[in-house]
Amino acid sequence: MIMSNLQSLKFFLPELTLTIGILLVILCDISLKSLRNRLNPVLTVFTLVLAAYYTFQLQDATAASLFHGMLAIDSFAQFFKLFLLLAAVLVVLASLHSAELAPFHQGEFFALLLAVTLGMVLLANSTNLAMLYLSLELVSLTSYIMVGYLKTDRLSNEASLKYILFGAISTGSMLYGLSLIYGMTGSLNLYSIRDAFLSQGVEGVDQFTVLLILVLTMAGFGFKTAAVPFHFWCPDVYAGAPTPVTAFLSVAPKAAGFAVLLRFFFSGMSQNSGGQWAIVGGINWPIVLIGISVLTMTLGNVAALTQNNLKRMLAYSSIAHAGYILMGAVVLTGDGVKSMLIYLFVYLFMNLGAFLVVTIIYDSDKTFEIDDYNGMFKRSPFVAVAMAIFMLSLIGIPPFSGFMGKLYIFGSVIDKGLYWFAAIGALNAAVAAFYYMRVLKAMLIEDGKGITAPLQVSFFNQALLVALLLPNILLIVFWNPIDRWTAASVQLFGGV
Amino acid sequence: MITLQHYLLLSAALFSLGIFGVLTRKNAVNVLMGIELILNSANINLIAFSRYSSHGLDGQMFAVFVIVVAAAEVAVALAIVLTMYRLLKTVSLDQADTLRR
Amino acid sequence: MSVFDVLFCVVALVTVGSAATVVLSRSLIYSAFALLFTFFGVAIVYVFLGADFLAATQVLIYVGGILILLLFGVMLTHRLYNLNVKTETFQLIPGMLIAMAVFMSLALAATQTRWKLVPQKMAEPTTEAIGKLFMGEYLLPFEIASILLLVALIGAAMLVRRRSDA
Repeated sequence: MIMSNLQSLKFFLPELTLTIGILLVILCDISLKSLRNRLNPVLTVFTLVLAAYYTFQLQDATAASLFHGMLAIDSFAQFFKLFLLLAAVLVVLASLHSAELAPFHQGEFFALLLAVTLGMVLLANSTNLAMLYLSLELVSLTSYIMVGYLKTDRLSNEASLKYILFGAISTGSMLYGLSLIYGMTGSLNLYSIRDAFLSQGVEGVDQFTVLLILVLTMAGFGFKTAAVPFHFWCPDVYAGAPTPVTAFLSVAPKAAGFAVLLRFFFSGMSQNSGGQWAIVGGINWPIVLIGISVLTMTLGNVAALTQNNLKRMLAYSSIAHAGYILMGAVVLTGDGVKSMLIYLFVYLFMNLGAFLVVTIIYDSDKTFEIDDYNGMFKRSPFVAVAMAIFMLSLIGIPPFSGFMGKLYIFGSVIDKGLYWFAAIGALNAAVAAFYYMRVLKAMLIEDGKGITAPLQVSFFNQALLVALLLPNILLIVFWNPIDRWTAASVQLFGGV
Repeated sequence: MITLQHYLLLSAALFSLGIFGVLTRKNAVNVLMGIELILNSANINLIAFSRYSSHGLDGQMFAVFVIVVAAAEVAVALAIVLTMYRLLKTVSLDQADTLRR
Repeated sequence: MSVFDVLFCVVALVTVGSAATVVLSRSLIYSAFALLFTFFGVAIVYVFLGADFLAATQVLIYVGGILILLLFGVMLTHRLYNLNVKTETFQLIPGMLIAMAVFMSLALAATQTRWKLVPQKMAEPTTEAIGKLFMGEYLLPFEIASILLLVALIGAAMLVRRRSDA
């Protein structure tokens, strides 16, 4: 059911809340000089929580298409909305005591964070190529600005310059690909595009063109999810950006990138024949995806082995995780998508937790080098053990939730019969264990470099650490609701 | 007889030149110009298809939004370039070592 | 060969020629001015395609806004000897080979694909129709574009302002 503008408004409440939040934060920042430093974060968190509340209220809405076919409301969109809002709240909380951001005025930071969340939410819902491009650019532009937020820091500035140039090239190429789709089908709406492809058929040179289109659009999606060969920006940007921004980039825009990739391929470019999907034109896209996934995993894991800067190491590790998530996309079934959602969900908590520890240690020691993490256990057992749990979860060791993510991903690949593919994934996970263990070893076993003062961790950060630890430890016990939630979220409007 | 294909070839040429510019140029502002060529080529595609492949004006609407995004991108990119210019200018050569991490 | 065909060829040659100057010229100022001709050429191509509103927008925003910004960028940073973004760029020959390969594949796709074709109509003024679409079917992208511009404005201003706050 396609709704007009006025009808769609009541389904648009979360996004409206975010918009009003952006404007209020800006207003508050200009006017209330004395209160604003305390009011801004409160306002931001309140906006995000309110948007999440409205999203819950829309839980049972029947799937529909909003604003004349621009957005879709379905449980897939619901999942990502909640995921992205949660990620934003956690990042806001983690950034409050960040020493990197402290010298800078932070009013704009919160407005930008709300804007990027709005963009990501719209990106996960888009069903029209123009809307897709606009929301992708909204996310990207705000990310470029947030990465360069530390105006006086040369690394931050270099990172944002590399990010914007690489990003603009990738999204420009994607735009060219989208224009070719428009030419082949005469429409910008994903569903009309799919119908046009299916009805007129794709053969001969048209197959080459569709392949070209897929390569070009993957430039944009690969850029957002940091998949090989569009990952070059990742280590420099992650290392140069303020740590809360890095943490945010490693989970939220990546997830939004996967959401739009899935929606684009499933609703726009694939045909469903008896429960099995295939890309239009009979192009062997799974082979290409397998190739990208393997390259991404391997490059990420191998490169991380030699890193001494923890932020760069986590950057390469997040590239590798994108490779694991892509394994789920290869399978092209509902189970594959579900495994991707589960992996993203557990990945959120473990990655944000690791970055929070990095922020905490930077705040007191002003360093990101792994060697400077030696002997952390004696200085703050709590922080060291927390980091150990996050690292173990990232490796995928039971009983931490990272294990569940890998279990589902490998499981869906094995179900499809691609045993060797799963074996490559498992091998990669084993290689990854080396560099995660290195951090563990530094913190727990090695002797410190003579600094014996206990680590200063604010109570707020301690509470936040516990909040991020709990899902890693306990989710495996309360697994059933997660399983049911993600299974229900695979319903794409008009796509399944 | 000028057909759709002519416009597409024109935009393909612009796109390739843009890619060439992006790959071979060292100066950030030069790379930005290459990016603008890429965006313009995609716009020509959209408007040509809007005329030849569809009844409505969807392609032209999309093109307007692309122009908007291009303007915003150039503004932010130049802000970043200016910041970089300021940072490098204020760094004297004998302080260069402290920035190497 | 009608007059229109000749005109199109001239405009296309000017556009591609100036684009080549943009990417090949050693001087930044020459590149910027060649870009001016490219933008104008593209605007004329829009007029050929019957997109009058878009041609005007192209001139107003690209030439009147983006190009001016780029010229500011060139003028304000020209004293910096190497505003190097990438330490390893492609050499000219591999770059040219890649660009040729890209052009070949795109040209192949452009000429051989069965594009969707609809019967041609006389071109009509588009401004009114575009205005109605902005307020109708494209209302949401219109509003999101305004948020995007707001954010870009705030971000760019924040990055460049000198006043230090805490």
